[in-house]
Amino acid sequence: MDTQEQELEDIELFQKHVSDRFTELSSPPEDDALLSVSWLHRLLDVFLCCEAEFEAILIMDRDPSQLSKPPFDRLIPEFIERAVKALDICNAVANGVDSVRHCQKLSEIVISALDQNPLGDGHAKRAKKALLMLLSAMNLDDKEGTHVKATERSWSFGRRGVNKEQIAGHFRSLSWQVAKNWSSAKQIQSMIYNLVAPRGAEASGLPSPIYTMNVIMIFVMWALVAAIPCQERNGLPTHFPVPKQLNWAHSLIGLQEKIADEWKKKEKKGMSGLLDELQKMEKLAQSLIDFTDSFHFPGDAEKVKGAAADVSELKEIFGRMDQGLTPLQMHIREVFHRIVRSRTEFLDVLEKGSAPVL
Amino acid sequence: MDECQSAIPAHDGDLHVVAAAHHIVKALGTTKNLSDDLRKILIDLDAHLSLITSNIDSKGGKGFVEVEERLKRVERKIVIWESDRIMIWDSGPKEVSDYLEAVDEVQTLIDSLRGLSMNENQKQKELLHRASSLLQMAMSRLEEELIHMLVKHKQQSEPTYMPSPSSQRNVVYNESVVSLDNESAKEASSKSSRSDECGEYIVDLVPEHVIPDIKSIAKVMFASDYGQEFCEAFIGVRKEALEQHFDILENGKLSIEDVLKMEWCSLSTEMNKWIWSMKIIFRVYLMSEKRLCDQVLGEFGSVNSFCFLEIAKTTILCLLNFGEAIAMGPQEPEKLLRLLDMYETLADLVLDIDALFSEDGGSFVRLEFHKLLEGLADSVKAAFNTFRVAVSSNVSLYPFPGGGVHPLSKYVMNYISMFPDYSSTLNLLLEDQHSDVASLVSEPQCGPTASLSTSCPMACHLRSITSSLESNLHKKSKLYKDEALQHIFLMNNLHYMVQKVKGSELRPFFGDEWIRKHNAKFQQHEMNYERVTWSSVVLLLKDDNPGSSSLSKSAFKEKCKGFSIAFEEVYKNQTSWCIPDPQLREDLRISTSLKVVHAYRTFLGRNPAHVDDKCIKHTVEDVEKLLLDLFEGSPRSLRNSRRMMKT
Repeated sequence: MDTQEQELEDIELFQKHVSDRFTELSSPPEDDALLSVSWLHRLLDVFLCCEAEFEAILIMDRDPSQLSKPPFDRLIPEFIERAVKALDICNAVANGVDSVRHCQKLSEIVISALDQNPLGDGHAKRAKKALLMLLSAMNLDDKEGTHVKATERSWSFGRRGVNKEQIAGHFRSLSWQVAKNWSSAKQIQSMIYNLVAPRGAEASGLPSPIYTMNVIMIFVMWALVAAIPCQERNGLPTHFPVPKQLNWAHSLIGLQEKIADEWKKKEKKGMSGLLDELQKMEKLAQSLIDFTDSFHFPGDAEKVKGAAADVSELKEIFGRMDQGLTPLQMHIREVFHRIVRSRTEFLDVLEKGSAPVL
Repeated sequence: MDECQSAIPAHDGDLHVVAAAHHIVKALGTTKNLSDDLRKILIDLDAHLSLITSNIDSKGGKGFVEVEERLKRVERKIVIWESDRIMIWDSGPKEVSDYLEAVDEVQTLIDSLRGLSMNENQKQKELLHRASSLLQMAMSRLEEELIHMLVKHKQQSEPTYMPSPSSQRNVVYNESVVSLDNESAKEASSKSSRSDECGEYIVDLVPEHVIPDIKSIAKVMFASDYGQEFCEAFIGVRKEALEQHFDILENGKLSIEDVLKMEWCSLSTEMNKWIWSMKIIFRVYLMSEKRLCDQVLGEFGSVNSFCFLEIAKTTILCLLNFGEAIAMGPQEPEKLLRLLDMYETLADLVLDIDALFSEDGGSFVRLEFHKLLEGLADSVKAAFNTFRVAVSSNVSLYPFPGGGVHPLSKYVMNYISMFPDYSSTLNLLLEDQHSDVASLVSEPQCGPTASLSTSCPMACHLRSITSSLESNLHKKSKLYKDEALQHIFLMNNLHYMVQKVKGSELRPFFGDEWIRKHNAKFQQHEMNYERVTWSSVVLLLKDDNPGSSSLSKSAFKEKCKGFSIAFEEVYKNQTSWCIPDPQLREDLRISTSLKVVHAYRTFLGRNPAHVDDKCIKHTVEDVEKLLLDLFEGSPRSLRNSRRMMKT
């Protein structure tokens, strides 16, 4: 089999693997709901696998000068540029995971407060305080200047009401770490920009896996941004211009549409991330706040039982977060470093392949 | 205290057990050499047992009277503060200790009430409920007090020794430096913050006298299982404080995209800021923050390192991010010095980082910064390499006018004269590339004059670079059509190189042998120039027939004319040539003068009869004076030579 045929076979195999992996992601088992912490781990693994295969096809045993000729002299630099944007998203998302960990910590207080028998007014008050902070932290509209919004939320505990000092103690800014005008939504948008599927002869050659990898990278980054709170997600694109007839893309597009639907539903309400655990936590927090609001010792037996069930569910979510969030951050860092290496590899290839610059 | 979970005795027989236990406790209490903690435990135990006994004695219902009394008393003490706008810790030490005692008492009551098993005793349940509500109220208040205290006493001012970032010398090494002479070039491109050393400097982030207060709140909150709330509040305030300090250092929050696109001038500034910020943040603020955490949370186990990590995280990730972006970027030659600064800064700090984040939770911090250090090492090597390649591949299309010192020579020599400052780092990083380079360098540095400094990796690389420069200069010299100018050019440039080496810290790395060899080289070019230019001219004046007295008039006229034309030709061409170095210029003039003037004088002297002839266009003095115009760099023709004044 000559190199041309081998290449075509490799490309086909690559795209089959892509299709398979995303199909697997689309039908997660019970515990692994879409956009849960463990599902995100799997998503990142898929990315790493696809990326490794992609690099092998493009770079291994290939004459570098091939990749410096059209259309690669445009496609590869474009890919590299998108990769750099992906790096900034990785950082923003890793930062966002920290804010989810903060929510986890607050939920721990709620659990400590309510996991008492018998439940007293003091416990309920303690829980309510933590719940208010939790809801506030989750609905941290990740815009700049959210400081103002946080004060508007009802912090009705304490006789002295809300003052700046109290906020100082409890507010954790999402936007401190990034430049003021950086927007994750805009970043994703600029990654999608100019993404054109290869046509004609190019569709069966190397441009095809390049396009595939671009789409995968954008999808993964997009899903992360949708799941994890990070700066300025308003206007997150919900549509990917991926032609439906590409058979490797079916599962991916299906996933994308599902997530996009969820996003559109929640966007209007102003929300935290689509992270499954966060969503569940939010619901439980709302339910528990209602409970603590209306609780008076010894409380309605049914309601107390309901609250206990909520607390036990909350414990479970806490457990999943406790186990999975820090590894998630590490996983994102791994993806980050891989993208950095990949970029360096491609830059090297371009350098070797092009004429020496004087 | 939790061990006192004794059940309400169901039978009278248990009364004896309780009494016996009480007796033992009292006996133990008289033991000498009891530690304070142990003593306290025994006192509490004593109180519990008394409580149980009194409860049993009074048979149910009325048994909780004492407890209720105590609860009422402590309730008053705590509730009274709820309507008060004043902070307890602002009020005075008596108020503080009263309150803390009250909280302690609540906790004691709760523990003892819990210690009694929950029979269907309504009173007991009611009291326990009241007590735990009271506790929550107190804890909430303590949290507010804590935040108030931390915010009020946040040290805002920068320590006085800290220079403002903008006052740092921050000149960027670029082409403009090429035109500077040695001294100002050195000053302009000096290392950013090397001289501004920053040793460990622990400051009081919170005034010393406040620490015990914070600790007392911590103790009480942790004892009542409200440690999480304490940490939340503590982390929140400290984190913000640290971020404010960081903001003062004016590090822009740059995305990787921004950094990769930034132009060199701004990037250099940012790199300097990073260098300074790294030192300040790690050696001052984080060290101090760690000490604060140790002081406040030291006795609470892993909570201490957890809180420290949470406080520090976003700030250090900001610094890490910038470092990584730099390490990713294209490593152009002009970045080399800043990259070296960054590398050296981090290499210096890495041990401190390891110490600050020595626990498990901080392992990723250590890992990432170690990775970054490697990345910066690679960047330094890449930049160095790019520099080398740039030197050898710098191509000129046109010959450099005037034959003076080429900008490339200036750039290279000025740049490398700053490397010795980084010699230990460069030696470390360039070590693995040493063997390749050593073979490239033609001059072996062995023999009696060779020393450690001339054979170290950096020295080999430096000589390899100058070697490349030489080859390049040779190529450039071929662009001149005039062979004499080729030699002038090479003479100028080689001389410049030698002067630079002699007059800077490069000298020990190049060694005397190199200097000698290169002196010889440029002197060779000097001689070649003379030969090429003047030999033929001087030849015209040569005495064809030695021994004969004088030439015929026509022969003389011819020779004169020939000489004049040749001389004027040289004058016309070579006045526009340049020898920048005044000493070298003088040397060449003298040497030329000796040759030419002497020959001319001799020639005229041999033909005294024709001396007054009009064919002698120039006198010897004229020739002497005209020779002074050579190599001034401004072209002249004889017509506008001011020295040419016919009397």
